Amino acid sequence: METSRPEAEAPISRRSFLEWAVFSLGGLIAAVLGGSGLGYFISPAFRKREEDWVDVGRAKDFPQGMPSKVEFVERRRDAWVTTERRSSAWVLTSNGRDFIIYDPRCTHLGCPFRWDQDKKQFLCPCHTAVFGVDGRVVSGPPPRPLDRYQSKVAGERLLILPKPVREKA
Amino acid sequence: MSLKAAGEWLRERTGLDRVWEALFERHVPEAKGPVAWLYTLGSASLFVFLVQFATGCLLAMNYVPSPDHAYDSVKFIGEQVLFGRLIRGLHHWGATFMVVLVGLHMLRVFFMGAYKYPREATWIVGVGLFLLVMGFSFTGYLLPWDQKAFWATAVGTNIAGQAPVVGSSLSKVLLGSEEMGPATLTRFYALHVLVLPALTGLFILLHLFLVVWHGISETPERRRGGPQE
Repeated sequence: METSRPEAEAPISRRSFLEWAVFSLGGLIAAVLGGSGLGYFISPAFRKREEDWVDVGRAKDFPQGMPSKVEFVERRRDAWVTTERRSSAWVLTSNGRDFIIYDPRCTHLGCPFRWDQDKKQFLCPCHTAVFGVDGRVVSGPPPRPLDRYQSKVAGERLLILPKPVREKA
Repeated sequence: MSLKAAGEWLRERTGLDRVWEALFERHVPEAKGPVAWLYTLGSASLFVFLVQFATGCLLAMNYVPSPDHAYDSVKFIGEQVLFGRLIRGLHHWGATFMVVLVGLHMLRVFFMGAYKYPREATWIVGVGLFLLVMGFSFTGYLLPWDQKAFWATAVGTNIAGQAPVVGSSLSKVLLGSEEMGPATLTRFYALHVLVLPALTGLFILLHLFLVVWHGISETPERRRGGPQE
């Protein structure tokens, strides 16, 4: 037992040890560099977009029981570029606390629609679409009700997130 | 198909095993102790170059060579991109390291007399590579477009402007304009990511071919009897 050792106990030569050391260290370096590089490359897939809430005014100032159009400046940050553009939305509230915000574009082909106070309906001039005050399609070609924006009241102010959310048809 | 069969298929059609042998199983002079480490400087430079290439490709994905956006895009890399700080840090420190390694490599070859016959061509190509590294340093330094970058390049191009006769033309060629601005940034960027890497790749191939072709020179021996004879 002392003299003949099984092959599993074969002595490690200097050469094989160095080979092992070079390949493992090299592998480690490659894994760290390759891993972080890959992470950098694919990071857009799971980067969260910042939510750009826009302050559109005092919640109490909006007319109650009838839609009103609010104009605001939308500031969007995308990567290293910040762009500003004028935008608008329809604000509907019955009590100054609960709000429904409509995307101002018709769900048919994106035309801006208007509120007709006599008919109590939203009318789109492009293809004679008609929406009810609740956003549902009354007549015309639109495939779904008006898109909405998320909103919240923080303190006295009404904040909206100008990103269309689809209503189920 | 097993891995071995695939390897055999490739070997038969490319002779890759011969390339492997020529590169990694060639004879190198025996050197012991600290001196042996001096022979690693060339490989180290090559490795850092590869790291610079990989990290540079990644940085270019988020960098804009325009005075409007250069600074903000670099900031974006550092603050918003996953591992962005690490990748930029590697490129930043790799650049410094590259100059140090290439300089030491050059000193090693010079003081050991390894540039002598028949290896003069290797030395000449190596000097070309050294100048290319200087070019990388000069053009890359401007790209972050911060105060340090701006004024360092202002000094650099003013030095070029001091040259007799051709000075002012030379500085205009470097700047791409009368003064430093958008045209300078795009010019430096194009040199840094297109022209210099292509030339460096070519020169590295030449340099490596010559190194393998001639083999590595022996470590010079200290003469026993002093400097006479």
